[in-house]
Amino acid sequence: MSSGILKEQFSRRGVLRAGVASAAVAGVGGLASACSSGSSSSSDSKVLNVLVFTDQASANKLSTAAAPFEAAHPGMKVKFTGITGTDWNDFFSKLLTQIAAGNAPDIVSVATEGLQLFAAKGLAEPLDDYVKRDASELKSYFADVHPALIEAMMYQGHLYELPTDFNAGNMFYSTSLLESAGVGRPADDWTKDDFYDIATKIARKGGSAVPYNWVVRLWGSWTSWMYANGGNLLTEGKWDGGDWLWNTFYPNDPAASGRKGGWRWGDPTANSAPVVESLDYMIQLQKEGLSAKPDVGGGATLQGLFASNKIGMSVGGGFWAGGLHNAGMKTGSFDVQYFPKWRTQRHLFGAGGYGILKSSKNKDLAWEFVKSLVSAKNLDVLMPGNTTTFPRKSMMTAERYSTTGPKNWHVFYDTLTKFPETAPIPAPPYYQAMAIALNKRTTEAMSSGKAKAALDGLQSDLETAMKTG
Amino acid sequence: MSQASQAVRNRGRASAPSGARSGRPPEQQEDQSASLRRRAQNRRARRETLFGYAMVASALVVVVVFTVAPILASFVLALFKWDAISSPEFVGLDNFDALLSDESVTHSLLVTSGLAVIIVFLQVALGLGLALLVAQRASKIVQHLFRAAFFLPMLASAASISIVMAYVFNDQFGVINYYLDLLHLPEVSWLSSTGGATATIVLVAVWQQLGFTFILFVAALGSVPGDVLEAAQIDGASPARMFWRIKLPLISPTVLFASTVGLINTMQLFDQPYVMTKGGPGESTYTTVLLVYQTAFQNLQFGYASAISVVLFAVLLIITAVQFTVSRKWVFYS
Repeated sequence: MSSGILKEQFSRRGVLRAGVASAAVAGVGGLASACSSGSSSSSDSKVLNVLVFTDQASANKLSTAAAPFEAAHPGMKVKFTGITGTDWNDFFSKLLTQIAAGNAPDIVSVATEGLQLFAAKGLAEPLDDYVKRDASELKSYFADVHPALIEAMMYQGHLYELPTDFNAGNMFYSTSLLESAGVGRPADDWTKDDFYDIATKIARKGGSAVPYNWVVRLWGSWTSWMYANGGNLLTEGKWDGGDWLWNTFYPNDPAASGRKGGWRWGDPTANSAPVVESLDYMIQLQKEGLSAKPDVGGGATLQGLFASNKIGMSVGGGFWAGGLHNAGMKTGSFDVQYFPKWRTQRHLFGAGGYGILKSSKNKDLAWEFVKSLVSAKNLDVLMPGNTTTFPRKSMMTAERYSTTGPKNWHVFYDTLTKFPETAPIPAPPYYQAMAIALNKRTTEAMSSGKAKAALDGLQSDLETAMKTG
Repeated sequence: MSQASQAVRNRGRASAPSGARSGRPPEQQEDQSASLRRRAQNRRARRETLFGYAMVASALVVVVVFTVAPILASFVLALFKWDAISSPEFVGLDNFDALLSDESVTHSLLVTSGLAVIIVFLQVALGLGLALLVAQRASKIVQHLFRAAFFLPMLASAASISIVMAYVFNDQFGVINYYLDLLHLPEVSWLSSTGGATATIVLVAVWQQLGFTFILFVAALGSVPGDVLEAAQIDGASPARMFWRIKLPLISPTVLFASTVGLINTMQLFDQPYVMTKGGPGESTYTTVLLVYQTAFQNLQFGYASAISVVLFAVLLIITAVQFTVSRKWVFYS
């Protein structure tokens, strides 16, 4: 009986017909999908595809920023697509795979970590001509943005992005944990020794909180100590060029003095004395119970632990303000101070922006949109709730931070003005290989307790990565 | 003329009345109808064959597109330098040449092999041990419950299990260390020490895959002839002797299958180290497939990554061949 039913319900001819029909539907679907994706097809030339490092739900919210642009350009549609990832390296891997597969967007959000990678591979379009053409329109923007952020967006003398946000590596602290240890707010010019004293006092108090915690990554990791100690993973230099930009927008600005055509990262110096000393200090803190064993990754766990009052102090940037507030920390329960002084009080920072891809067939319109994104109104839409530091100084106000904290919010932007030697993270065109090697060798050092051996390995890894590109 | 065709002719003669109506000689009519029957049978057979091919075609396409083609492509790609963005450049055997002096490749192969041996040994030993316990002592209902319980982790993806386990074993706020702390036991650096990270990866991989070997061994033990065991019992064989002398030899093909499949799977270990340790601390859990992934998709060296894949393929082929050669001495096919 069952075979009869089967014969009735699934006759060979019927199954074959269904198969052919399904294949046809799939084919038509695939064709339709192919036609609707990517900006290269002629039927889709009115769509600007923007790829952002976030989830799709958050990406959809960004469409508000596109509304004025779409109204000004009838028939144009801006489509935001979100790509998630554990860190920038993960995001770049997915993005580059998408580009290799022929699905390149018109515009993509790329932070300092990937700017030179995309520029060196010839994927990003230099904005020089557009900026020169629209110089008068952009004067107010540049006047509001610190030149250090602009220089971080340059490579080989060309400007590739207009900064939309940045984060300098400052020191966040739990006000209640410091108070309970009998410590007040550290001074602006506090030192590594002051930091150590506070950490020791928090540890002596006991409890489940750790005095200091950090994350293994390039930004705001032990690398902040390395910068404060006057070291770097790569030899620092500057590309020639960019005079047109400095002369046009920052003619009399002392902060623009010495600025050139972007950071030129040279030979690796990962096992130099100040670098080894910095990582050794992290090992020492861990051995003395003043620091936890660091996680590898984006820092969400670190922020969560800090918000749970399990950490006394940690490296954080402007994005921590909104992050800690969203995690339930009350205004006043945390604050921020400059990073402590070691040999210097140099800070590191990373900046974000939107780049136009060379493969875009709508470059002019893409530029118009990118330009519209850096208005104060749109920056507010792009980064709501103090989840970053705005590049426009005029946007950094007490009112903005009144709901989230921290009390000393001015530290975020003042880092750039107070410490002019502050520089971007070392992110050369081979950033991805560098990030992998850095994670690997840092965890090696922290588990073995041998900083020099691990950094000798890192030096070798970076030399190889530099050669293979 | 063959006997078969003669028989057909004879059967045709027996049905002469139907041919007589057409006015042709009966022999000729019989031949024609037999030929028509044969043709109809052939047509049916052809249709069935075509239908069979149509049924497997979709699966075949998937296998060709997603398995066979990438394997072949990786062999070709291994001869090129390619960053997936610019045009590929033919470099011959340069990638393989570079492999020989690349310590990270050698190291990853050693790490992977070490993990594979430990994981496969534990999977087979624990799977067999649990199967023996369940098959011998429990009732049918309990047996089914155990089967479901042990098999359940296999239904979840390795990536999602790894994410959860990364929290469970987290050094700072993981559940395991929390309970160790409650018991006043020292906390363990599960993911931040070399030994701890290796042990955690092994633990998670074994826990997830144990259900597979367990089910295999439960089925294999169930197929051991009862009369043989009964005869041994009557002869006074102890349970241990019965296991080593009767059960184990009879289920040895399953042991070979479980260890071969386990080894092939474990040599491709990726999800657990990628999610839980990123290959660290240092390179202590840096498996070959993780190296392939990072070389290809993060360093954009697709040719070099393909060369590493080819080497891994060759290593797996050799290990499997050795396994089968050695198995002739200890595997018994009844």
